[in-house]
Amino acid sequence: MPLNIDLTQVLLHMLNLVILVGGLALILYKPVAKFLRDRRTHFQELERTTAEAEREAREMKAEYEEKFREADRVLKENRAAAEREIAESTARYMEEAKNKADAILRSAEAEAEARKAHVLEAAQTEIGEMVLSAAQKLLSDTASPEGDAALYDAFIRQAEREIPDKGDKHED
Amino acid sequence: MKKKPNKPGFSRRRIFLIVWLALIAVLLIAIVATSGSGGHEESIKEVMRDGVLHEKNKISLFGLPVNPGLISAFTVTGVLLIAAALIRIFAVPRFKTVPGKFQAVIEWMVGFFSDMAEKNAPHKPRFVGAYLFGAGAYVFFGTLFELLGVQVVTTEGLSVSLPAPLSDINGAIAVGVGSFLVILLAGLFTGGIRGLLGVLKDFSLPISMSFRLFGALLSGLLVTELVYYYTLTSFVLPVLVGILFTLLHALIQTFVLTTLVSTFYGEAVEPRQKKHKKNKKKKEEVSL
Repeated sequence: MPLNIDLTQVLLHMLNLVILVGGLALILYKPVAKFLRDRRTHFQELERTTAEAEREAREMKAEYEEKFREADRVLKENRAAAEREIAESTARYMEEAKNKADAILRSAEAEAEARKAHVLEAAQTEIGEMVLSAAQKLLSDTASPEGDAALYDAFIRQAEREIPDKGDKHED
Repeated sequence: MKKKPNKPGFSRRRIFLIVWLALIAVLLIAIVATSGSGGHEESIKEVMRDGVLHEKNKISLFGLPVNPGLISAFTVTGVLLIAAALIRIFAVPRFKTVPGKFQAVIEWMVGFFSDMAEKNAPHKPRFVGAYLFGAGAYVFFGTLFELLGVQVVTTEGLSVSLPAPLSDINGAIAVGVGSFLVILLAGLFTGGIRGLLGVLKDFSLPISMSFRLFGALLSGLLVTELVYYYTLTSFVLPVLVGILFTLLHALIQTFVLTTLVSTFYGEAVEPRQKKHKKNKKKKEEVSL
């Protein structure tokens, strides 16, 4: 054949190639390729697990943030309610205190009026007694019917001038 | 009186010795280079012709006279299979998730062909990945094998250095036709008769593959033979020519063969409908 091509030798070369390719594939290529595939799968699995964990962590974080926001909102609402309640209660106490103060004031005024009236009454009684004693004294010193009459008249006139002023004040 | 200290390496005696020895060496080289054929029993013409055609220097393989390239092929296969078995037994079970240097090299070799198969033949990458690994290892280590210069005795009693298996045209044809058969069978199993016919239209593929391999490896072989034939050129030049040419050939031919096989294999196993749609789209784009 041209170029010294020998079919037997071509076939021997092919046999050699088949043995080599098959042998290398079985002995080395497949185990190493399987190892590489397994390792790739392992890392892909790791990557997937990590991504899953990251996603879960992100979801958990969002959930907690939402819970925090909710708690904050509830806290604010409670605080506002408490403030409202305190304000209402303060107003109520203030009102009650004011009412009590008014009542006390009214009672005090009434008591003062009563005491004033009592004092006036006592003063009138005392004045009367004083007048009586003075009159008795005068009578004992200068006792005469004309003189007595003149004195009584003068006293009554004077009393009428002074007493009505005090009586008016008492009525007021 | 103080003595002047001698500068090391620059004394007159040392310079004289260096020049003297260099002169002797140059004269010896010149004598050897000009002393005729240097003991060659074949002319350069015969050596080159035998490098291409392997008509004279045959090796006996169990009584059958074969080219030295076939012996190289069997030797390379034996060495590779033994190395693979040793790696499988001692290294692979100890593979770790974070690889060491040796494991990284093995992983890179397998990963290179595996990735090439997945890239060029994404529909059925496993089988072609294994084939590419085997064929690639054969071409690469087979080409590097000639660097070892393993000597064998021919049927005529001469000593020859074992060449790269693919510098034998029979070896190149075997790889080319073998690769074509792989693609053909893949087309047949995947697409039936239509797939087979689709691959058969590229009938020039085995021829181009075979002769590309043969031509590339042969050119390296011839240049190396030429350089080694003359004594004068066999001192420093073979280091550059032999090693660099062989290394470059090994890398380039491995890459070219595996890329071609994976690409044609990918086309052969590609689902027909998708290909039809793609072609239709391309045609529509062209018409627009």
